[in-house]
Amino acid sequence: MSKVEALAPGPAPQTANWRAQLPTLIRVYGIVLTLLLLLTVVTIGNPAFISQQNVFNMASQWAPAGIMAVGMTFVILTGGFDLSVASAYSLCAVVAAYVGQTHAPWVAFAAAIAVGLLFGLANGILVAVVRINPFITTVGSGFIINGVALVMTQNAAFLVDNEDFGILGAGRWHGVPYSGMLLVIFLVVFGFVLARTIYGEAIYAVGGNYEASRLSGIRVRTVVASTYVLMGGCVGLAGCIAASQLSSAQANLDPGIIFDVLTIVVVGGTSLSGGSGAMWRTAVGLGIIATISNGFVLLDISPYYQSIIKGSIIVAALALDTGLTRLVRAK
Amino acid sequence: MVEQVIGNKTTERRDIPIRKRDSNSTIAIRVRNVSKSFPGVQALRGINFELLTGEVHGLVGANGAGKSTFIRMLSGASQPDTGEIEIQGSPLLFEDPRLQRGMGIAAIYQELTIIPEMSVLSNAFLGKVPNRFFFTDKRRMERRFAELSRWMGLNISPHVNAGTLSVANQQMIEILRAVQTDQNVLIMDEPTAPLGPFERARLYDLIGRLKENGVAIIFISHDLDEVLKLSDRVSVMREGQLVETRNASKWTKDTLVRAMLGDVQIVAGEKRSHATDEELLHVSKLALPGRLFGLSFGLHQGEILGIAGLVGAGRTEVLRCIAGAEPSAEGSMRFAGMDCPWPRTIREAIGRGIVLAPEDRKRQGLVLSRSALSNLMLADLHAVAAGSVIDRNKVRMRGETLARQLGFDSKRLDTEALNLSGGNQQKLVLGKWLNRKPKILLLDEPTRGIDLGAKQEIFQAIRRLSDEGMGVILISSDLEEVVEHSDRVLVMARGRQIDILDGRDATVERILNLIFAVESRAIDAGAS
Repeated sequence: MSKVEALAPGPAPQTANWRAQLPTLIRVYGIVLTLLLLLTVVTIGNPAFISQQNVFNMASQWAPAGIMAVGMTFVILTGGFDLSVASAYSLCAVVAAYVGQTHAPWVAFAAAIAVGLLFGLANGILVAVVRINPFITTVGSGFIINGVALVMTQNAAFLVDNEDFGILGAGRWHGVPYSGMLLVIFLVVFGFVLARTIYGEAIYAVGGNYEASRLSGIRVRTVVASTYVLMGGCVGLAGCIAASQLSSAQANLDPGIIFDVLTIVVVGGTSLSGGSGAMWRTAVGLGIIATISNGFVLLDISPYYQSIIKGSIIVAALALDTGLTRLVRAK
Repeated sequence: MVEQVIGNKTTERRDIPIRKRDSNSTIAIRVRNVSKSFPGVQALRGINFELLTGEVHGLVGANGAGKSTFIRMLSGASQPDTGEIEIQGSPLLFEDPRLQRGMGIAAIYQELTIIPEMSVLSNAFLGKVPNRFFFTDKRRMERRFAELSRWMGLNISPHVNAGTLSVANQQMIEILRAVQTDQNVLIMDEPTAPLGPFERARLYDLIGRLKENGVAIIFISHDLDEVLKLSDRVSVMREGQLVETRNASKWTKDTLVRAMLGDVQIVAGEKRSHATDEELLHVSKLALPGRLFGLSFGLHQGEILGIAGLVGAGRTEVLRCIAGAEPSAEGSMRFAGMDCPWPRTIREAIGRGIVLAPEDRKRQGLVLSRSALSNLMLADLHAVAAGSVIDRNKVRMRGETLARQLGFDSKRLDTEALNLSGGNQQKLVLGKWLNRKPKILLLDEPTRGIDLGAKQEIFQAIRRLSDEGMGVILISSDLEEVVEHSDRVLVMARGRQIDILDGRDATVERILNLIFAVESRAIDAGAS
């Protein structure tokens, strides 16, 4: 580790006394250990888990939730929250499918992403400029967005009868799914934005201390609003991938996906109170949630037990994180 | 005693609202050989300490000497590794701060613990609400609050939200809360830091009366004059050890400082350099509705202008107006020889080179969850970036230069701001702005609650910058500090400018006389 780590979130400075640093190290990297442990257990249980085929399938399957988790990481880092994600995801998929019935796929996808950005901007303005609590804002806008989708579809599914429309979601390049590539690109690019750019630094500052950031001359409202716009863009793309994978869309595509998205970010260790976290944490969180879900299938665990185990792992991870944080800061 | 008028008991009674205790010289607290370590730090080593009933015991030491750890332990909030603590003969058990109330100790911590959304009354009885069956006994609370307010000389409405009070009044409520529990031992950690001279005098008076009633007090402060004046005995802590305890009369300010700092040399206050004639900033008829009324003054290049006044006089507001943080400010500004509109936003002021290091470093100055280095760069990220990507080598180099200028240990640049001492945090707030090379630096209470060594380093840095031509406006509740470091002093009271004194003529006495002349006139006017 070179001395230029300062602005990077994550790694704590090393000192000679590693025993005293142990709680800090576990706090920082414990989540990585959890992932490695899970990977080992599932692989031993069923070696098919690490087959190329399975890994690519997972990447493709988790691309929508993962891409939305990238946007959600930004929102949560500024101390915000976006609960309208599930509705907006469905609406964007519906828009993509609707436009895709008559137009070229790229037009359909552009329209869906534009709709996502638009609702993101609305959320951003309400939260950052009008200053309504993000929880209330996004619950409210979630209802509106869901309503719009229902009105558009009259609660029927839109089917797209165009093979090219399926390329984004189901297409592969030498076996590697495009959707999975997009997921990785998003994680890497926005991880870099967060860790290395002025914008990223401002995100952490605003989430850590809004008032101090304002007094330091950071455009706090713009920064906060921008995270919702980014979230909207991610939701738009996620909706496109989902619609493309299914070659269809409906108003209630997957209402539960909001929990996956939030869980991915929070399990990774990004703090809900804002200001601390990182994109690599979201990547690890995604790995954990995807491994658990896929592991259940591969290890043939009864679906009745799946919820119990999944819930326990999530709560245990957070309890460990909170407990260690307290231990580290007990001064 | 005082006559009692039958039928009008409650208003005429002058009873003291706390118990009278026997003040024969027993030991209230005995600490034997207590040590405590945290990961990587030995916070306390072998502390032996005795607090006698009815004494005021001063406790002094530089930041990080272990005072706060020590009193947290006495109040049961943290547990010693070795050694024992006895409170009135019975050993202290460490389970729950609430049990400590039963043990006879109340503490006022350095950080305010007021809950802003709750009423003053609820805050005053926080954690121990008088109740009847399951209901809070509001009438009893109000009666006791009124009794205590009168005794303490406070005039605060019990029904407003505590968040609307000034910091000084919040602190007085904090003190009232501790006093109302009527314990035998009261621990006060920096109780006077947010208070102005007026409130301080009231607190000194209160301490005297508590003592008369047999309450033992541990009094912690960086203001050594105050400690020497109030205490019967004074103990000095240094690097986690209790170095020495003497009667207050056996200490002088110099011997205290020497004991606190060990072998460190103290640099004498530098001679004032004379400001140039070139006026950098001229403010005329600055007004903020209801708060400030027509202030006009200039700031020269290389000058340090002090603003002196009581808490609530409007000093902070003046700085906030100049820094563009008060959109409703009115007035005209001449900056670097040119008339320009009053800055309406922070960014506008920063663009001109006017920056504010605010009063509350934790809430307004720093992002505590980020590293020291990140905080230093916060106000000028574009300078360390190529395009929009931050250049980490540049960041590191700038950070190290700033650390050298401020006397900040460059090994701690990667530490989270949260884990730094008050003095180091203040250096970061200052460094963040120095990084922008401002033309005018506005400093609001830059030395509150920080130790002597750090204070000196901060003032040396400020003086060096003003010598290079930067204009500085300085606010401090410590009037001696204002007098010592300012080239001129603007005296304020009740939102008005009273006078501007030349540095050579400014003395604490003269400033206080000016202020109190206005204050007493205002009080007379109010009474008639």
